[in-house]
Amino acid sequence: MDCQTEVNCGLHLVIQTSSLPEKNKVEFKLNKDTPSFPGRLLQHDLERNYSSRQGDHINLVSSSMPSFPILQRSSEEKILYSDRLTLERQKLTVCPIIDGEEHLRLLNFQHNFITRIQNISNLQRLIFLDLYDNQIEEISGLSTLRSLRVLLLGKNRIKKISNLENLKSLDVLDLHGNQITKIENVNHLCDLRVLNLARNLLSHVDNLNGLDSLTELNLRHNQITFVRDVDNLPCLQRLFLSFNNISSFDNVSCLADSTSLSDITFDGNPIAQESWYKHTILQNMMQLRQLDMKRITEEERRMASILAKKEEEKKRENQKQSLLKEKKRLTINNVARKWDLQQRVANIVTAQDRKDSDSPSQDPCQIDGSHISASPEETGSLDSGLTSALQGLSVIDSHLVELDGDTLSLYGSGALESLDRNWSAQTAGMVTTVSFTFIEFDEIVQVLPKLKIKFPNSLHLKFRETNLVMLQQFNALAQLRRIDQLTIDPQGNPVVNFTLWKYYVLFRLSHFSMQKINGTEVTQNDMIMAERLFGILAHVASSELPQYRLISILGDARKKQFRYLLETKGKKPGIVNEENNDSKRLIGENTNRATLNYTTRDFYNERLEEIKEKKKFCKMYIEDLVKEATEINMKNEALQKLWPQMFIELVRDAVIEIRNKNSYMKLCLQQITDQK
Amino acid sequence: MLSPERLALPDYEYLAQRHVLTYMEDAVCQLLENKEDISQYGIARFFTEYFNSVCQGTHILFREFSFIQATPHNRASFLRAFWRCFRTVGKNGDLLTMKEYHCLLQLLCPDFPLELTQKAARIVLMDDAMDCLMSFSDFLFAFQIQFYYSEFLDSVAAIYQDLLSGKNPNTVIVPTSSSGQHRQRQVLGEASMEGVEASLFYQCLENLCDRHKYSCPPPALVKEVLSNVQRLTFYGFLVALSKHHGINQALGALPDKGDLMHGPSLDEELERLVVRSRLHRTFAAHRAKEKQGLWLSEEETSPEALERVPSASVPHSTPY
Repeated sequence: MDCQTEVNCGLHLVIQTSSLPEKNKVEFKLNKDTPSFPGRLLQHDLERNYSSRQGDHINLVSSSMPSFPILQRSSEEKILYSDRLTLERQKLTVCPIIDGEEHLRLLNFQHNFITRIQNISNLQRLIFLDLYDNQIEEISGLSTLRSLRVLLLGKNRIKKISNLENLKSLDVLDLHGNQITKIENVNHLCDLRVLNLARNLLSHVDNLNGLDSLTELNLRHNQITFVRDVDNLPCLQRLFLSFNNISSFDNVSCLADSTSLSDITFDGNPIAQESWYKHTILQNMMQLRQLDMKRITEEERRMASILAKKEEEKKRENQKQSLLKEKKRLTINNVARKWDLQQRVANIVTAQDRKDSDSPSQDPCQIDGSHISASPEETGSLDSGLTSALQGLSVIDSHLVELDGDTLSLYGSGALESLDRNWSAQTAGMVTTVSFTFIEFDEIVQVLPKLKIKFPNSLHLKFRETNLVMLQQFNALAQLRRIDQLTIDPQGNPVVNFTLWKYYVLFRLSHFSMQKINGTEVTQNDMIMAERLFGILAHVASSELPQYRLISILGDARKKQFRYLLETKGKKPGIVNEENNDSKRLIGENTNRATLNYTTRDFYNERLEEIKEKKKFCKMYIEDLVKEATEINMKNEALQKLWPQMFIELVRDAVIEIRNKNSYMKLCLQQITDQK
Repeated sequence: MLSPERLALPDYEYLAQRHVLTYMEDAVCQLLENKEDISQYGIARFFTEYFNSVCQGTHILFREFSFIQATPHNRASFLRAFWRCFRTVGKNGDLLTMKEYHCLLQLLCPDFPLELTQKAARIVLMDDAMDCLMSFSDFLFAFQIQFYYSEFLDSVAAIYQDLLSGKNPNTVIVPTSSSGQHRQRQVLGEASMEGVEASLFYQCLENLCDRHKYSCPPPALVKEVLSNVQRLTFYGFLVALSKHHGINQALGALPDKGDLMHGPSLDEELERLVVRSRLHRTFAAHRAKEKQGLWLSEEETSPEALERVPSASVPHSTPY
């Protein structure tokens, strides 16, 4: 809004800025003083027509100084308008020397071509100076005008606010339409009520402290991106920020702290296009009465507070979500790190074992001892990097369980315990995909029965970084109810490097009729190929095993299942029946494969340990038997050798006895009587 | 049967030579382990089955490694079982890595040690580039030698090493007059040439065979192998052993290389395969029908389909 002067021919001067209340009308009295100039030559600089109303009475006479015209008024003029002087549209390029007008209170130089403010230092009573629409490049020459109250410098070429130090009474400062880039040197203007900096080149607003009377601040049409210090203006009521570059309320947050603001405009800013604009402003600036020149109604305020609350909630929700995500990511990193360490340690151990068992004499060729790149420093540095990041979050788990609609993801071996939780039937029923990451496959095998019961609809299993190394391990998956899809991620699962692994899976788990393996459809040819490759194995495993082996192997599997069932709590009778049916069906469909089991390495070794005792006993037992047998054999052989001789002797003894019939009869009779 | 040599040996030695005790112990052990199951159908029957399976060579299936290694018969049976189960893999023409063969071995014996497989692979690959792919027959024959004669090979390796470094192990043990001269000749810088001299090597091996308790390849055949060359390296010797079909026959576990892929059960296999796959196809078809309400083409029931399945015409599907 421009500051227009409308000079009345009447007795008072009204400055019509709509912002000024009535009481500040400036009144000028006519001054009848007419100072005289001692013999100066006046020069006509411009003899063109005087378009101003009062120009007719003014003579611009050339002076002795070549550039400055001297102004002289007729004495009637001086008497009539002794305290105001209007030089509008006089095509002035310089300020003329104004002589003998020391009582001047209003000076109007509007619409000229003046480039510098000069020759007005003597007008020390000046209250109102209007230099609107000139070519002034610098504020200067005002240092004596201590009474100046209104300074209008709009539409000039001023680049900097300066040289206003002595203008302590300044009430209105109008610098609109200039090239000012920075608010400065105004901090001493404690009486300033109106500051107009519209249409300048300001990019930010600050340095406003000290303007204790400022009521209106016009900053329209600038390039302002942020506003500061406005809360230091105790009287500021109106702030116009239209057509700037404000895009977020944070950049103008000081406005919320200003208690005096009642009127504000933001139209033409990017912020005004946002959906949350109105209610954010209203919510943050409760003291406002008008926004963008429109009154704010109660209804609007209420809506604003509701919407703002919703925004707050949404923000909080988002924050929570991102925090959760971050925590999840860090947990997964933690699990990955632990897994990595575990693997390295395991590798070192196995490599060392192998080295120990390989005695150098066995192999004539040189073996480079396995190149173990285990460097604790390496792991150490990895640790320190992560730990510093982890310190931000207070609780880091060593495992993660995530249920996301139809996918259950488990990271880290600790997560397997979560299968024991009481999952509601509905949530558990929805789970169709179970994904295992950073867990040893052997550990997963042990919880597969639990998985079968708790998540009956899980059809797709995914394994990543689970240390699948042998084809045999796939045998363990046969105990599940059904698998439609299987995804074995190559990362961390060396088994994928084998040429035949998919065929083996198809063969062993043929009763599932799987649809997809690692994303590729299973074709008829694949199934046939699998059968071709491993069919004999199945045949051998079933028909060529002796009966007792079959029973013992199958019995083992069944025993394990029953043992698990006995251990689970809260089982329903229905499930138990299903289990039986399942196992029956399993055996019915696939007797030839059922013997292909997988026992984890630990279990296997345990069993072998257990058997050792038995073996020792058996050995001893057999040894005893053998000893006995050989003794008997020896005795038998000895007998064989000795028997002929013995027989001869027996016969000889008998014959000798019976030679004398009578004495023999007597002898026998005697023997019988002796017996009694 | 009742040959005089048999009766000539004292008891323990006879039993030990025939490994009777091993089987007896194992039988009793198995009995103890599966008391409950076996008691149901009788101990006599159990023993019958057990020894039948020993005769047939199926007793080693899915047993622990210590048992499989215990007797030569076990080892031979294991080799045979491995061949029979995975001959189809060989027929398919897949070349597999050492690790994968080891995996297949583990399917039959869960705790089969990796070292043995590695050693077998070294024979095939001549101790070079251990990640190379090997064909089934190559691996099988090398594995046979390595597994069946593993203790013998260990000793041979030791001997070879000694010979390479210039020591003659024979100096201590065999007091034949000729070896003394050989010894002197040998000391004169043979180390620069690769490998060892075949005849010297053979002499050491002969002595080894004589005093070795473990099974050795028939010395005559070994001599045959060594007579063809002047000098040979350790792995060269092993490769020659593995490829020698005389030794293979002496072992008796596997057929000749040419017959490796054939076998009497081939036809049996084919038939079984066809029936199984046909069953599967009908089952899958039923499922598909249920799901989509479509009918598969009448292919599945035509008799021609049965003939189309056989191995020769099934295209070798690309590995994933």
